[in-house]
Amino acid sequence: MRSSTDSWAGAARDTGHLMRFRARTVRRRGPAAVGLVVVLALTALVATYPAQLEGSVSGEAADVLDRLVSGLEGNLGIAFVGVLLLSIGTAMSSGGGRELLSRSEAAIHPISALTDHLGALALAPLNLAWLIQVWGLLAVTAFVTSPDRLAGAQVVVLVWVLAATAMGQVVGWLVEGVRRTPHGVVIVRVASGLVAALLGVLHLTGRLRPLAEALPTTWLVDSLSTDRWVEAALALVVLTAVAVWLGGFPARWALGLPPREELRVESGVHEARHVPTPRWGSLDLALMRRLDRGSVWRSVGMRRGLLVLGVGPGLIALVAGLPWSTVTLLPGLVASGGALLFAVNAWCLDGRGMIWRETLPVTPSAVFDARAIVIAECLAGVSAVTIVLALLRNGLPPLQTGVAVATCWVVVIVQVLANAMTWSIRSPYGVDLSSPRATPAPHGAMAGYAGRLSLSTTLTGMLFTGLAVVPWVWVPPLFGLLFLAWSVRRLRRARRRWLAPVDRVRVVLTVAAV
Amino acid sequence: MRRLGENGGVSHPAVDVRDLHVRFGDVEAVSGIELRAESGRATALLGRNGAGKSTTMKVVAGVVPPTSGTVTVAGHDVVTDTLEVKRAVGYCPDVGGLVPRATPWEHLQLSAALRRMDPWEEPGRDLLEKFGLGDVAHRVVGGFSHGMSRRLSVVLAALHQPAVLLLDEPFDGVDPIGVDATLEVIADARARGACVLISTHLRELALEACTTAIVLRGGSRVAALEAAELSGEAYRALLD
Repeated sequence: MRSSTDSWAGAARDTGHLMRFRARTVRRRGPAAVGLVVVLALTALVATYPAQLEGSVSGEAADVLDRLVSGLEGNLGIAFVGVLLLSIGTAMSSGGGRELLSRSEAAIHPISALTDHLGALALAPLNLAWLIQVWGLLAVTAFVTSPDRLAGAQVVVLVWVLAATAMGQVVGWLVEGVRRTPHGVVIVRVASGLVAALLGVLHLTGRLRPLAEALPTTWLVDSLSTDRWVEAALALVVLTAVAVWLGGFPARWALGLPPREELRVESGVHEARHVPTPRWGSLDLALMRRLDRGSVWRSVGMRRGLLVLGVGPGLIALVAGLPWSTVTLLPGLVASGGALLFAVNAWCLDGRGMIWRETLPVTPSAVFDARAIVIAECLAGVSAVTIVLALLRNGLPPLQTGVAVATCWVVVIVQVLANAMTWSIRSPYGVDLSSPRATPAPHGAMAGYAGRLSLSTTLTGMLFTGLAVVPWVWVPPLFGLLFLAWSVRRLRRARRRWLAPVDRVRVVLTVAAV
Repeated sequence: MRRLGENGGVSHPAVDVRDLHVRFGDVEAVSGIELRAESGRATALLGRNGAGKSTTMKVVAGVVPPTSGTVTVAGHDVVTDTLEVKRAVGYCPDVGGLVPRATPWEHLQLSAALRRMDPWEEPGRDLLEKFGLGDVAHRVVGGFSHGMSRRLSVVLAALHQPAVLLLDEPFDGVDPIGVDATLEVIADARARGACVLISTHLRELALEACTTAIVLRGGSRVAALEAAELSGEAYRALLD
């Protein structure tokens, strides 16, 4: 019998083997290295630059900055809690966390649950929402901390992010374990609904903020600008280690149970429906659209991911009462998250079925159009939920703001769609998406896609936030048309590549080689 | 029952492959294959792994474009008339070949609707029953075993009574009932005048199902002979 110490050591070694294996399969090492450098450089920039701003501005700008800093200072503790909630949500929606090897690839190897647990922890940073939260927290900390205290404060922030990730993983495995028990899916859904309702009630009765401020994260924030940052960092290191160790128990439990929801969906029964009668477009397009919709909505991972993406940011907008200037940024980020569920490698959705689909007597243009329409539906749907929830909280915005938000929404959807379809044809991957823990592309590629999508949509959102204060209502649509023209051009180029038989067969054979 | 050649459809040979080359990057999967398959006959494509059998089948099915050479299927060029080729062909791919989150019935419905088949429900139901898939007609295929997936792939290939039936490893992992049903589908296709092309490693089953055998090696054709002439020793000699 091996001791638990041996198990942890073995798991750490195996995680290393798996990570090296994955690293060796990175196809484009140059761009991957550049991407890593860019992420690290951006992290260093957001962690230091805001601290330099205070001394470099004067006059009215300095007053604005002062107001901003005092506002951020009061919310830093809540932002710390936000990172923890995000880690929990991410681990929950991805079935405990991402996997280093897909279920089918891993099946032939003696990979322990502890290795899976450590792998999920190692992969947590390769996530758009995680990166954005970390950058946001580093930037806010840099804003509110004096330059001479900045290094210590950022150490505390980074260790807190690690601790929050490990704690989120513990909850993620626990929830996955419950989900895999009989009636577990219902229990998790009811419990999630109750937690959301409780948060709503606490917010409406004005108790949410005092509660958040009473959490130990406030002590962490207080320590940032004092010599106590060392104690705080050490305490967080211990907390991280305990959370990593603790996570091993629910991981073993959860991974030892059959994945009931996936198995139920994989053997799901769907009664016959009539051939669709298209209200627009051809019958072929309608048939392909129906097939593609089924592939998305009958997948546990897609359904769960789209639900979390739609409701999560929307709830934050609803509870926190985000101003329209911030809400304008959300559709782009939500659409980017939606694309990362499958659209960045859109043809992998059918796996080996792609070969059969290619034998069907339907034009390649109808196949491309159907896939693009279904992706656009998903992106528009999830980001619309966010906007509607923001509308519920904020009420109707002024005309200028409303036009800017609506234009930005359309622009970012087409922008993300064009990117996704371009990447899907340029860099297809054979991926088995049957598990909600799977990603549509290797983790390095996913990080690259996440960075590029978030950067482009955030910059677009910021531009439209600026345009919302311009006094001419026609300005946002005018800029929108320019953006749309560019994205539609990219989309058409991707479509032309798909229509070329040699390019198409490369995609088909690659994604079918699962 | 519609016979081939009616409606001005198919002229002989039903599959005509001349000097076919297929390259994937630096790899030449097929190098100069010549192949003719007649209507009303079943032809076996035999050879070792990597001999070019599946790639040739994919070209004939209109899935993979040839790098060079000409391929005509049921009178249609696979490069210039790909959609007509796909209408004429029923293809069972070598692996999987099913959309994981759709049911067998939805696969059949899509295939029939795109080929404007009417009615299709009755023959579809009969085929599913014949292959032992009647009970799972509305179940998502993602949870199917390998053998069940293979059987459904043969059903999908046969549903529209194609002029050219292409079966790539149709017996792989299939139980005896499935093998019998597949042999019956092949016999029916031949009886109505269809051209059947079967790629397989199982020589005995190939001999049972086919009248002609073509042996490929290293992406080229090394022999074309009557199936009855292909003894075990002769086959092994052709593979080496």
